[in-house]
Parts: sequence; structure tokens; C-alpha cells
Amino acid sequence: MTDQPQTPQTRPRWTWALLIGGLALAGLLLSLADIAIGPKWPQPLASSLALTTPNKFERERQRPLTGRPQTVRFEQRDPSQVYVIKAPIGYGVPLNPLQALRVFLSGGAGLVLLALAALLIFPTRARTAVERLEGRHGIEIALVAGIAVVLLIVAAATLLRYTLVFLPIIPILLLILVAAALFGIACISLATGRLLKSRLKLVPVHPLIAALAGTLVVFDLAVIPYAGVFLLAAFAIAGLGLAVVTRFGSPGAWSFRDLNW
Amino acid sequence: MTDEKDQSLTCARVRVLIEPFVDGDLARNEPALAEAVRTHLTTCDDCRRQHHQAVSLPFRLKALSSPQPHPSFVSAVMREVATTRQNDSRAWTLLAPEAALAAFILWYLSGLQGLATIAGGAFNDLQSLTNWGVGTGSLPSVPAVDLIFLSALIVLTALAAYHVSVLVGLDTTSTPAHRTRITSD
Repeated sequence: MTDQPQTPQTRPRWTWALLIGGLALAGLLLSLADIAIGPKWPQPLASSLALTTPNKFERERQRPLTGRPQTVRFEQRDPSQVYVIKAPIGYGVPLNPLQALRVFLSGGAGLVLLALAALLIFPTRARTAVERLEGRHGIEIALVAGIAVVLLIVAAATLLRYTLVFLPIIPILLLILVAAALFGIACISLATGRLLKSRLKLVPVHPLIAALAGTLVVFDLAVIPYAGVFLLAAFAIAGLGLAVVTRFGSPGAWSFRDLNW
Repeated sequence: MTDEKDQSLTCARVRVLIEPFVDGDLARNEPALAEAVRTHLTTCDDCRRQHHQAVSLPFRLKALSSPQPHPSFVSAVMREVATTRQNDSRAWTLLAPEAALAAFILWYLSGLQGLATIAGGAFNDLQSLTNWGVGTGSLPSVPAVDLIFLSALIVLTALAAYHVSVLVGLDTTSTPAHRTRITSD
């Protein structure tokens, strides 16, 4: 009896649903906290979404009760201005939970959809890239390669700027850069999902569900107030490095052997 | 019943059992079956020949002389290992000169604002180039550039490209897929 292999204890299937729901809720709360910080550098969301000025309805309501008759009865109000609450933290910026929902449904859903689409279109390449990331020093190599590639692209693009002929290449270069970073972030998300599965001893599910959980982790980290922007930049740089090191997850490594005949 | 069945073993069955029979595993685990194989071997010439070959295989292998490695084999392996280690360290240390060059370029351009000015200029020139392409504008002039700045950019490009090539060639054998392939081979 003792010689029989022990089957590892796994949590039930609904734990995935619980995990994904929890991560989504954390994303919402972090989005709200991100907006609450106010339009302070380096908050890309806060400056565009914070309700810093009262709208027309608020201005009308705050006007003293003298002069002309008050208020239109059926004035239509912007839904984003309805449930305004005072920020419990940050700089007293008026807050609206709907704004956080908007951030989550636009930014988060965008990131999730792009990542899942990349995995759906290039499954073999994604697997190669994730295996490289899970290999020895995989994360460090991806991060350093990403830094090197960013420096290379910035320097090369600046050089191209001084040649009139090759100037149109710069936007193409930037597009490739963004595509590579997105592919890399998708692979990092999948790797994160796999890590969650093994660490939390979750039951095996469809890989896209694991990737969804991983992408939500990436999004949650990206909306942490102040640190989120830097974390997102780190993810993008590491993703870019991963895409370059693995040649977009190509099974054949970079090689000059074909040129040496 | 079992013994009767075992005594009528076919040659194909005996060929499968020869290996464990020679190793002694069959006699240990299933003595009746081992006895049946032994009986079959006394009556079948082909199977006896197979048995003889199986018994003599370890001795024949032992008699083979191992091929001598090439004289440069050890030194080549050591050289290969040393290169990998050197590449390993270069993958991290190259960040320092890159950071220094990037800092110099930023200082030379008066910080990120200078870089943003260049990016803005590139965007304007790109717009002018597009307008010129559709015939609604004139061709923009090639911007003037400082020689030191240009040299620093070229050095940074070359250094970063070399760094990427070092990182790309680093330790591809450590991926799980590669290990699996090696194991299955």
C-alpha cells in the first residue's frame, strides 16, 4: 500500500471561477484606487478619468437661490456623474465607481482579448515562448533582452530620423515593437496562469482559462496606484524581450548557419 | 492446466521471454513459465540460437574496443563550456556600458525633453513627407545632426544589437521542451 504513488491533492474546478472572480474584483478596486490618487504623475488613468470639475447640472444646483427660476425638471444627467462619492484616500478627488468599471471593461477587457487572441492564433509559438520563460533564468533573460531591444529601437529610430529616405520605416518599426510586446505579454499571462495552477494546486482546465487568470493578474498589477505604470512597462519590456529572444516563439532558434555555406 | 499451456509455448512467445529468461527475472518471478521456456529451448533450434545470442551478447559487447576520442575532444568541450560561461556573464555586464551610453545621450540632449523634441520633429517630417507624397506639400529638408551625438547613437545601436545577439544565443538547451526532446532521443 505504501508503495502506491500519492496522487497530488487538487482543488475543485469551481476554485478557478472563484479565482477569476476575485481577480476581477481586485482589478475593479485597484482601478478605483488608481483614480482616487488623482491626476498625479505617473497616473495615466487618473488624469483622464478623475472628476475634477463639477458638471453643468452641479453648477446649476450650487447656484444661490436668487434671480431666475430654478432647475429644469427632467434634466438628463451623465451616468458617470450620478454616483459620485468622496475619495476616502488620495487627494480628495471626487470618485465614481462607474469610472472604475469603465476602466476595467475597456482596459482590462482589451488586454484580456488581445492576449487570448494572440494565444489562439499562435498556440505553438506561445508554447515555445512560455517554455523559454519557464527555463533557467528565463525571466531575467527576457527582461534584459527587452531593455536591450528598447535601447536598440530607440537608437535605431533616432538614427533613421536623420535619414529622410528611411523615415517611413519608423512607424512600421514601432508597430512591430507593439505587436511583439503584446505577444510577449500574452505569453507572460499564460505562464502566470500555469504558475497559479501549479502553486495553488488547481485542477487542470482549458489553457485559455488559465491564461485569462494570468492576464487578470497582469491587469491587476498594472492598475496598482503609482507602481502599476512601472509594472506594466516591465511586463511590456519583458514581453518584448521574450518575443525577440524566441523569434516570436519560433521553434528554430536564431542562427546564421544558413548563411555559412 | 497452466503447466500444460506453458509447455505449448509458441516461438514468438519464447522470443519475447528470452530476455527476462537470460537475465534470471523470469525464473525469479514465474518459475513455471521459465521451466516452459527451458523445455521449449531443448526442442526448438531457432529459439536455441536466439537464446545463445542473447546469452553471449554481454560478452561480445565487452569484447568490443571503445573508440578512442579525438585528441582535441576534451579541449573542445572545455572551450565550449568556457564560451558559454563567458556569454553568460556578458549577457548581464553589457547592460552597464549601454546604460552609460544612454545616460550620455540623454545628457547630451538635455534629458527626455530633447528626445521628445526629436520624436516630434520626426513626426512632423513624416507628415510633411506624406503631404509631399500626395502632392500637397514640399519635401522636408534633411535635419542637421551633431557628429558626437550621431557617433554615440551608432555605438549604442551596435552595442545593443550585439547584446541582443548574446542573449539570443544564451542557454537554449535549458528549456523543458529541449530537455524532453533530449530524453526521448
